[in-house]
Amino acid sequence: MEGATLGLAIATFGGALAVLLGGMGSAIGVGLAGQASSGVMSEDPGKFGMLLLLVSLPGTQGIYGFLSGFLVMLKVGLIGGTPASLTTVTGLLLLAACLPVGFTGLVSGIHQGKVCASGVYMVAKQPKDLMKPVIMAALVETYAVLGLLITILLLNGITLK
Amino acid sequence: MAIAEVQKVQILAHAGVKMKVLSTLQDEGLVQLERANCEELDLESSLPEVSHLEHRLYRLSYALGYLSRWEERGFAKKLFAQKPQINRQKREEILDFDCLPILDKIEKLEAEENELLSEIKFLEKEEEFLSPLEGLELPLKSLKLNDSTEILLGSLPLSQEEAFKELAEKEAIWFEVINRGKRTLYIFLIYYKREKDYFEQILKDLNFIQLYFTENMLNMADENDKVRNIMEKIQGEIEEKGKRLEKLEREGQNLFAHREKLMLLHDVLLNEKEKIFSSSLLGETESVFFMEGWIRSSNAEKLKSKLRPYSDEMEIYSRDPLPEEEPPVILENPKSWKPFELVTKLYGLPQRGFSDPTLPMAPFFFLFVGLCVSEAGYGLLVGLLSLLFIKFAKPKGALLQFLKLFTLLGISTTILGALIGGWFGFPIRSLMVLDPLQDPVSFLILALALGFVQVWFGTFLNMINGIKKKLYLESIFARGGWLLLLPSLVVYLITKQSIWGILSLVGAAGIIFFASPSRNLFARFFGGLYSLYGISRYLADVLSYSRLLALGLATSVIAMVVNTICQTVLGIPWVGWLLAALIFIGGHLFNLCISFLGGFVHSMRLQFVEFFSKFYESGGKPFRPFELESKFVEFV
Repeated sequence: MEGATLGLAIATFGGALAVLLGGMGSAIGVGLAGQASSGVMSEDPGKFGMLLLLVSLPGTQGIYGFLSGFLVMLKVGLIGGTPASLTTVTGLLLLAACLPVGFTGLVSGIHQGKVCASGVYMVAKQPKDLMKPVIMAALVETYAVLGLLITILLLNGITLK
Repeated sequence: MAIAEVQKVQILAHAGVKMKVLSTLQDEGLVQLERANCEELDLESSLPEVSHLEHRLYRLSYALGYLSRWEERGFAKKLFAQKPQINRQKREEILDFDCLPILDKIEKLEAEENELLSEIKFLEKEEEFLSPLEGLELPLKSLKLNDSTEILLGSLPLSQEEAFKELAEKEAIWFEVINRGKRTLYIFLIYYKREKDYFEQILKDLNFIQLYFTENMLNMADENDKVRNIMEKIQGEIEEKGKRLEKLEREGQNLFAHREKLMLLHDVLLNEKEKIFSSSLLGETESVFFMEGWIRSSNAEKLKSKLRPYSDEMEIYSRDPLPEEEPPVILENPKSWKPFELVTKLYGLPQRGFSDPTLPMAPFFFLFVGLCVSEAGYGLLVGLLSLLFIKFAKPKGALLQFLKLFTLLGISTTILGALIGGWFGFPIRSLMVLDPLQDPVSFLILALALGFVQVWFGTFLNMINGIKKKLYLESIFARGGWLLLLPSLVVYLITKQSIWGILSLVGAAGIIFFASPSRNLFARFFGGLYSLYGISRYLADVLSYSRLLALGLATSVIAMVVNTICQTVLGIPWVGWLLAALIFIGGHLFNLCISFLGGFVHSMRLQFVEFFSKFYESGGKPFRPFELESKFVEFV
C-alpha cells in the first residue's frame, strides 16, 4: 500500500490485537463449555437448547474484540474512506486503546468458559435453575464489558489530525 | 404489601368424608397441605397403597409414547398445539372407559414389531456376510459331505496372496478364488484330511480366517442351493417381514383414534393417585382425620363455602401464622407488574419479614434492558413476536408471564432505541436526544446517575426495613447517614460548596457512631469507622452501571458493522443485492439475540448484585397448592 505510515501500521496492529485476543479468549471459553455440554448431551440429548445458551455465553468477548477492531478500521479509514496518514504517536495511542478489550477479553473469556462448563454440569442435574449459572457467568463477563467500555472511550477520545 | 397474607387452616372431620374432602381441595386448589401434627392429638399417619395406579399409569404413558409416532409433526404445529380440554363431568365418565384391551393390543403390537425388527437385522447381517461369497458355484450342502478331504471357505489378506499361491504349488492343496475384495481375498480350498494339522498351522500363519455358514443358512438351503440362491431366499424373507411390519404399523395407526381418551385417562388417574397419596399427610384414627395446610387469607371464606356440604361432619379452624412458623410466600402485584415477578422468583422469594422487591425493581429493570439493547427495530420485532405468540398459541403459566415480560421489554427497547439508538442500525436523528457514538461521556454520566439513584433507593428501602424491625437508632442515623452522605458528597465534589461538605460530614458522623451495635465506645467508634469504609463498595456499585453504556454501544456498533458490510457487498455484480439481503437479515438477527441475552442477563445482575444486596433477603418457600396436575390435557 502506497503512502502508508508507520503510525497506520501500529494502529492496524492494535485493531488486529483486539480481535485476536478477544477471539482467543472466546474460542477457549466456548470450547471448554462445549466439551462439557457434549458430555451432558451424551446422556440427555434433549438439553441441547439450554446448554447452547451456556456454551454461547463466553462468545461475547470475541464479539467485543471484533467490534473494537472494526472501530479502529473505521477510525483510520481502512473501511469506507481513504487510509489516514497517522503519526507514529497516534498509531501507538490507538494500539494502547485496543489493549483493555483485548486482555480482559482473553482472560475473562477463558474463565467465563470454566464457569459455564461447571454451569453445564449444574443444569444437567437441576434444569430448572438454568438462569443461575447464566448470572454467575455474567459476573465474570463484567470485566470484559469494562474493558470494552474503556477501549471505546479511548478510541473516541483520540483525535486524528 | 406485595405479599399476600397467608393463614393456617386446620380441618378435623369424620373419616367417612375423607376422600370427598380431599377431592374438593384438589379441585379448588386453594390449600397447600402440610404434614399434620399428629403427636398432640395422638393420631397416626399411614402410607396409602397406590402401586396399582402407578402400574396403570406406567402402562398408559408407555402406550401414549407408542402412539406419539403418528402425532402431527412440524415446528409450527407443535408450537401452536392446544391441549384437549376436559370438564368435571367428562372426568367422571372417563373412569369407566376400559383401556385394558387397547393397552394389551399396543403392548402386543410393539413386542411383535420389535421381534420383527431384530429378525430383519439378523437377516441383513447374514446377507452382508454372504455377499462376498456370491460367486461360489457349489451347493452349500456339498461342502461338508466328504470323509477324506477337508473343504474350507475363508478369507486371506491380499498381502498374503503370493505366499499362498506358492504354497498351493508346492503342496497338495487345491483352491479357487471366489472374490477379490479391496483388502481381502475370499477363497475356497480343499486338502486331505490326514494332513489337517499341518495345513491348519500354515494357514494360520498366513492369517487365513475360516468362514462358516450359520445354522440358519444351512437350514434354508435345499439340496442344490448355492450361495446365490440362499441370498435370494434371505432377501425374500426380509421383504416378507417388512410387509408384516407395515401391517402392524397400520394396525397401530388405527389405534391412534383412542389417543385422546388415553391422555384424558392418564391425567385423571394421575390426579386420583395424587389424591390418595396426599392422605399420607393426614393424621388419622379409625373414625376421624385431621389435616393442616396453608391458605391465602382472602380464600378462607371460599374454602368454607366449598366444604359446606360436609359441614355437619367437620370443623374448620384458621389462624394467622405463629412467629416460629414459615408460611409459604405468594407474591401479589398489579396485573401489569406480574411479569416482573419472574425476575424476583429467579433470585428467590422473600424471607419472612422482608417485603416483595418486585415493585421497586421493575421500573429499573424495564429501563436498563432498554438502555442495554437500545435498538428500536429489535424492540419492535421482539415485542410484536411475543404479542403474536401470546395471541395465537395461547400459552399459560410461566411461559405466558415470560412472553408478557418480553413484550414489555420490547416496548422499552423501542422507546429507548428511538431516543438513543437506531432502527436496524439506521438512526433517525430527529427522534434522538443523545447519540452515544458521538457523545459517549454524556451517556456514561446518565448510566452512572441511574446507578446512583438505584443504589440510593436500595439503601432507603433498607432504612425502611430497619424501622419496621424497630431498629430505630441504627436505621435513622447509620442507614440514614448513608442516604445523606452519598448525595451531598457528590454535590460537594461537583460544586465545592462547603454546605454540602458539612452535610456529608454529618452523615458520616451518623455512620461512625451508630453503625456498630457495640456498647464499648472504643469498639463502637472503630466499628463505625470500618463501616464508613464501605463507601468504596458504593463507589464500585455505581461504577458497575457503566455496563449500560458498553452494552448499548455494542449493539449500535454491531448493527452499524452489519450495515457497512451490506453496503460493501452490494457492490458485487449480479448477486450483490441477494448477499446483502442475507447478511442484513442474518446479521441483525444474530445481533438481536446476543444483545437481548446480554441486556437481559446484565440488567438482572444489576438488580441482584447491586440493588437487592442493599435491602433484600431471599429464602421464602413458594406456595404450592394441592391441585389438579395435568400432563397431556387441560382441566376446565
